[in-house]
Amino acid sequence: MRVTDRMLYDRATRDGGAARVRLERAVGVASTGARLIHPGDDPAGAGMVTRHLAAASRADAVAGVAAQASDELAAADGALDAVTSALARAREIAMQFGSAGHDAPARATAAAEVGSLLDTMVAALNTKVGNRYLFAGMNDGAPPFTAAGAYLGDARERQVEVAPGVWQAASLRADVAFTAASGGVDVFATLATLRAALAANDQAGAAATLTSLAASTDQVATLRGQAGIAMSAFDTAVTVNQRAGDDARSLSAHLTDADAIQANTELALAQRALEASLTATSKSFKLTLLDYLK
Amino acid sequence: MSDLLAILSQGAASLAAQRAALATASHNLQNANTPGYARQRAVLATTIPADRSGTAFIGRGAVLQGVTQSRDRFLEAQIPSLLGSAARSSSQSAALASISALDPEAAGGVGEALSRFWSAMRSASQNPADPGLRQSVVAAARTLGLAFQGTRGSIESARTGVDAQLTGATQEVNDLASQVAQLNGQIRADRAGGGEPNDLLDARQKAVDRLAELTGVTPVATSEGDVSLFLPGGSALVSGLQASSLSTTADPANGGHLLLKLVGPGGSAQALTGLGGELGGAIDARDGGLKAAVTGLDDLAFGLANTVNASHRAGFGLDGTTTLDLFTVGAQAGAASRLDVSAVVLADPRKLAAASSLATPTSAASGDAGNLRALLGLETTAVSGGLDATGALAKLTSDLGLAASHAEAVSSQDAALRDNLTSMRESVSGVSIDEELIEMQKAQRAFEAISKVIATSSALFDTLLALK
Repeated sequence: MRVTDRMLYDRATRDGGAARVRLERAVGVASTGARLIHPGDDPAGAGMVTRHLAAASRADAVAGVAAQASDELAAADGALDAVTSALARAREIAMQFGSAGHDAPARATAAAEVGSLLDTMVAALNTKVGNRYLFAGMNDGAPPFTAAGAYLGDARERQVEVAPGVWQAASLRADVAFTAASGGVDVFATLATLRAALAANDQAGAAATLTSLAASTDQVATLRGQAGIAMSAFDTAVTVNQRAGDDARSLSAHLTDADAIQANTELALAQRALEASLTATSKSFKLTLLDYLK
Repeated sequence: MSDLLAILSQGAASLAAQRAALATASHNLQNANTPGYARQRAVLATTIPADRSGTAFIGRGAVLQGVTQSRDRFLEAQIPSLLGSAARSSSQSAALASISALDPEAAGGVGEALSRFWSAMRSASQNPADPGLRQSVVAAARTLGLAFQGTRGSIESARTGVDAQLTGATQEVNDLASQVAQLNGQIRADRAGGGEPNDLLDARQKAVDRLAELTGVTPVATSEGDVSLFLPGGSALVSGLQASSLSTTADPANGGHLLLKLVGPGGSAQALTGLGGELGGAIDARDGGLKAAVTGLDDLAFGLANTVNASHRAGFGLDGTTTLDLFTVGAQAGAASRLDVSAVVLADPRKLAAASSLATPTSAASGDAGNLRALLGLETTAVSGGLDATGALAKLTSDLGLAASHAEAVSSQDAALRDNLTSMRESVSGVSIDEELIEMQKAQRAFEAISKVIATSSALFDTLLALK
């Protein structure tokens, strides 16, 4: 084959250019650590990355709301703890002043303490996180309990997503635990009865509230149990979704991120290829009759 | 005496022949880097002997018989087609590779905005009465609309860039087509005069090559020595001495993008389809992969907006409003360029229909997120082409990637074939400086030798004239 000077120049341009393109790509991959930037780099992978990133974002969001729901339930549990303590004290008072040996002033003082306990319970159950009342169902506009203990919330339950498309109740049914709406004991009415009996120095009346107070304590304990179960579910959801998010990001990174060793090896190879191309080119240019003719 | 004079005159003719050989080598060297140049050779021939000495013919030196070009017609017939193919795939590949709006990890892209939209809705579903969370849903919806608009705009901008490329290249095509027609005429005239206009042939070949790169024309040599050029599809761009021209016009059926027309010498115009070369590749990208991406985005925006709107209309805002759309989108064509949040909801996020039932009283802050849950269910609902929004976007991304990847692979293959063939043509027609230097040396030595002959003849004359 006849070789002309222009063929040498064309080859030098073409091969040198190709070596430079290879080096530029290798530098890009090594410096950014990314092997998939344009969809054309890996069409199938690019589509999968879109899905993985969406899945990661979704899992993060689910984990976020589940964590928040768990935090709110923890706050509700704290309020219920205060209610439980108040009920325990009310039972002590009922037991103590439902017995003989106490005069009217002592029972009046106890009645005042029960009134204070009532106020404490109402305040605890009207706990607000952000702009939302924890025990109001979905009625976020007003405190769920009046000072007298009347329930103003609704019976609906708030639902929080714990997995894509799976929802878990995240609100506590204060109407069930504190009113007689579902066949239980009206806790506030029981305390009001106790307070009235004590104020009237009615020993038997005070003792009669003990059964209802025990039932009230059981109702609150049941509600706390439900809160614990829901918290556990949300904590699990947080863990599972954080792991799902990490897995999705890992899958995405597997598609987009370059292997460091491979990237640096390719970089070294590309540098050597360019050096070799330039060296060969410069040598081929030197071999011409022009340099020998005088 | 007459023989000596003949030697002198033959020497002069031979000197001229060697000088032509030297000039040809010099011409070759000067055009060593000229694109399209085919090396020339001075063909010397022995002058037919006329003198006899007894039974022997006495030679009469050398003359220049002609100057030829080194061309391989077999190779050259294949080159325009390969030039057109390589330019077409390269142009298509470049146009598709320039799109970064659908890069899977691009910040501010539709994928990220879509994820933020669902995430904002998910957060709001936990506390739908919170004004901040409602505002964040509306903001995320607006960002989603802007992401659709930006992405579509970016791809449309690339399509418009192709239109600008068409406008510029059309002028070049028309100039080159006129050149070829004129060169056909000049070559025809020169050949009628008996010569072979090598440099005009080179100029015509160069113009034909460039036209093949631009449009994928096929050259056809005619019996008159002309080269006629036919566009893919069979329309003649150049026919003998007449050149047609390309013009552009906005095509309403293609979103106002430019349509190429071929205007014949008589002024009749016809729409061009299936063009090759750079123009064909650019049009392929504009009306192929890029248009598919735009249409896919429109379909996705339209499907998503209407699906979300249908669900949103069924819900209730904090102020009791219902049957409101969340998005405004308009018709399917161009939907991605118009997707935005409804002005009513944008102005008052309380109208975001988060609740599935009317709050009582309507002024009460409702924690009802039933409709937000229904809206979140749309995350996995088919909205376009039987796929959910993320799936449709992933398919769009993959489809564009496939088109770009395929175009790049074809481009590499076409470039390799083109380089191989042009290298082979260069091997036949290119100028070798070494060869030309040797040719120069040959001509120089011959010139010196002939000069010596003339000097010797002159000395013989002097000897004769000095006889007493």
